Amino acid sequence: MKLIFDYNQSNTKHTPDEEKDVDLPEELKRSSLLLPDVNEVQVIRHYTELSKKNYGIDTNFYPLGSCTMKYNPRVNEDLAKLPGFSNLHPHMPASHAQGALQVIWELEGDLKEITGMDAFSLQPAAGSQCELLGVMIAKKYFAEKNENRTKIIIPDSAHGTNPATASMCKFQTVTILSDDRGNMDLDEFKKAIGPDVALVMITNPNTLGLYEENLSEIKDLAHEKGALMYCDGANMNALLGISKPADQGFDMIHLNLHKTFSTPHGGGGPGGGALGVKSFLEDYLPVPRIKKENAQFVFDSNQEKSVGKLHSFYGNFGIIVRALSYIRSWGSDIHKISQIAVLNANYLFTLLKEDFDVPYDRRCAHEFVISAKNFGEKSTANIAKRITDYGFHAPTIYFPLIVKEALMIEPTETESKETLDEFANVLKTIIKELKEDPEVVKNAPHTIPGRLDEVKAARQLNLRWVPHES
Amino acid sequence: MNFIPHTKEHISKMLSVVGCSTLDELVSEFIPRLSELNLDNPMSEMELVSYMTSLSEKNSPMKYFVGGGSYDHYIPAVINHLVSRGEFLTSYTPYQPEASQGVLQVLYEFQSFICLLTGMDVSNASLYDGASAVAEAALLSSAYTKRKGVFVDDGLNPAYLKVLKTYCDGTELCITNTIDENTACVISQTPDFYGNIKNPHGLIEKAHAHHALFINCISDPTSLAILKTPGEFGADVVVGEGQAFGIPTSFGGPYLGFIAVKQFLTKKLPGRIVGMTTDDQGNEGFVLTLQAREQFIRRERATSNITTNQTLLALTATIYLALLGRSGLQNVARASYHRAHLLQEKLSKIGFEAINTSPFYNEFLVKSPKPSEEIIANLMEYNIFGGIDVGDNRLLVCCTEKNLLQDINSYVSVVSK
Repeated sequence: MKLIFDYNQSNTKHTPDEEKDVDLPEELKRSSLLLPDVNEVQVIRHYTELSKKNYGIDTNFYPLGSCTMKYNPRVNEDLAKLPGFSNLHPHMPASHAQGALQVIWELEGDLKEITGMDAFSLQPAAGSQCELLGVMIAKKYFAEKNENRTKIIIPDSAHGTNPATASMCKFQTVTILSDDRGNMDLDEFKKAIGPDVALVMITNPNTLGLYEENLSEIKDLAHEKGALMYCDGANMNALLGISKPADQGFDMIHLNLHKTFSTPHGGGGPGGGALGVKSFLEDYLPVPRIKKENAQFVFDSNQEKSVGKLHSFYGNFGIIVRALSYIRSWGSDIHKISQIAVLNANYLFTLLKEDFDVPYDRRCAHEFVISAKNFGEKSTANIAKRITDYGFHAPTIYFPLIVKEALMIEPTETESKETLDEFANVLKTIIKELKEDPEVVKNAPHTIPGRLDEVKAARQLNLRWVPHES
Repeated sequence: MNFIPHTKEHISKMLSVVGCSTLDELVSEFIPRLSELNLDNPMSEMELVSYMTSLSEKNSPMKYFVGGGSYDHYIPAVINHLVSRGEFLTSYTPYQPEASQGVLQVLYEFQSFICLLTGMDVSNASLYDGASAVAEAALLSSAYTKRKGVFVDDGLNPAYLKVLKTYCDGTELCITNTIDENTACVISQTPDFYGNIKNPHGLIEKAHAHHALFINCISDPTSLAILKTPGEFGADVVVGEGQAFGIPTSFGGPYLGFIAVKQFLTKKLPGRIVGMTTDDQGNEGFVLTLQAREQFIRRERATSNITTNQTLLALTATIYLALLGRSGLQNVARASYHRAHLLQEKLSKIGFEAINTSPFYNEFLVKSPKPSEEIIANLMEYNIFGGIDVGDNRLLVCCTEKNLLQDINSYVSVVSK
């Protein structure tokens, strides 16, 4: 393995000829700069080689549950790179950035239509920053009403970001266990809901891939006690054009633009967040908002109730361009995305049911959770590693935490029946191996490097290259 | 457009396997179908390109003499070609390290570059942007010191200050005017928003005398090629905006927040961190590490709620730094410095008052002899975005290596009219 720091010095220059030194006091000047000087050809080869050691949707099926790894249309990449978008400086006055403001305005409009919410902010950089914004809005809303609400109700199947966000904002998390159908337990919820609850955060469909069956009753009880309903919309790929979260009784929803609207996940980001609210919460959204006045788009920072600003500028604009392009390419056909996503999940679920333990045997939405607990401890990790040997990416594993040896599988709508059949066959083959030749699974993946020692990584920290003494 | 591969025959075959007769029946079985949706007809790829191009053409990119948190440095052509490789672009957080060695090694190299540039010990694998990086650093300081006071030195980017305030309100931290026993951290930007290069020595001593952490914020990190590192000065945390490293201005995002700390704060870092390890044969490789800090394991006790970060931008910055190397980055920094100083000198000869009190890097403040709106509007007629109006007829002007001598001359000739 060779790091970029291991290459020999060379003389590549991409910049104007050698510049003369700067005239700064010595105590402010840098004494040495230990960066490698690597030739352009070597740089290309180095990172091309690294890309070959990486697995993406473009490589093959990537059924990572809760992440919506669908095909990222290439045209959207080109559109985000149009010079009028990518070379636009964020301090440019609104008069010279009308197209950019219109893009933001139009995406807000489409998201309102899709979710039924009354207003959106596209400032958050990702879903977790949306959650932070949502919780801040709830906090400010109740503070202004002089209501002392200290708790946030979250089901035990929720993403870890929900409780993490609640504690960042000094709320106490009340965890509600799931019932035997995978719903938030209604009796437990009834005991927990009260005048001290600010927010009920629900992922719908939940992380088990199941539609929350008690939602209507939960919503009524929450509203009766004055609490707000927040939807973690990470799983919106199940609902597009079928059901609007506002109609389900939510007061706020966040969408992950990179998931539902298929902007590339980039190895872990950038994402894009969108927070939608009902009209009574609109004034709390971050500034600047974008308004349309006399056919002109303008920035509006005069919002007294706003929680403030959340992003260095206006959000992840390049992601906003891609998401708008994606939605416009689907338009009124957008329900087909969710219909096929649900079909693909149910099809694969049906194929795998006979081989795995099924914790909740219900019609799933766009993803499903099965368990490998019958094959012994750690078998999920082993299966996941073995899947890599067969050329597929593994599903999300050991999540949600409430299912032992969980495999969370989200096929998405862009995978063909043929791919799903192949993937099911691979899992069936691995299970056969577990019975007949378990070592081949336990030692997977059979790659170089093979299974990496995560315990060692955490105990003997090596987090950076260190220059050799010279 | 349609990105669904199924034929009608596939759909009916699959429906029969799952035991349904139509797609509508399948979803309505468990999802209540509610109010109607009104979206326009789908666009073909050609229609979409035409529509989005028409929107992009309503914007007017110009020759920029503007920074303020977004810097128009030259982006080498190689970057886009490498970053666009589908293996990088369409992957996600490297939960399965053996299928993600490429991205993991890139992030390890990114962490190394950030440490080398800032003089710090440990970097994470990125945060959202400069503003949220400042806020995350304040939260880290509060968690470490168990204090709630945040002292902000003059000259922090006003947008960062606003975001910091939003985070402080939400998380019950408090921006204060004094440094005392309640102070969790002292935050200072250098070069500051107005371009001044500060010597943080005194402020660091004061912070440390009160057992508070010192956070150094950096807006254009190309400056690190010529400036003494915050690590050498004694900063505990360095945060900033990495956009200057090969990322287009793109109307403000996606950009690249970074955070680096001294050793003793490693386990308080927010977000992903990549570490090197081995397999059982001794082959080296990379994994996400110290994950017990993170939300998906620790839930309400996590160091931060951040999940998705800005990996692709960290990749961009890493390739940028690899391509430029020591000499290239130094050239960029020196050229940016010299162009800015040349323009300031020329402007001061035609009645613009230079008002920076300290040495500056590539941004400076001038007081205009005419109303600043007029100056900006005149320059725009010549396709030059000439500065940020910061009030009181003061203009914040910026140069990079892209502002050539002839551009500087046109700027001066327009404003001297």
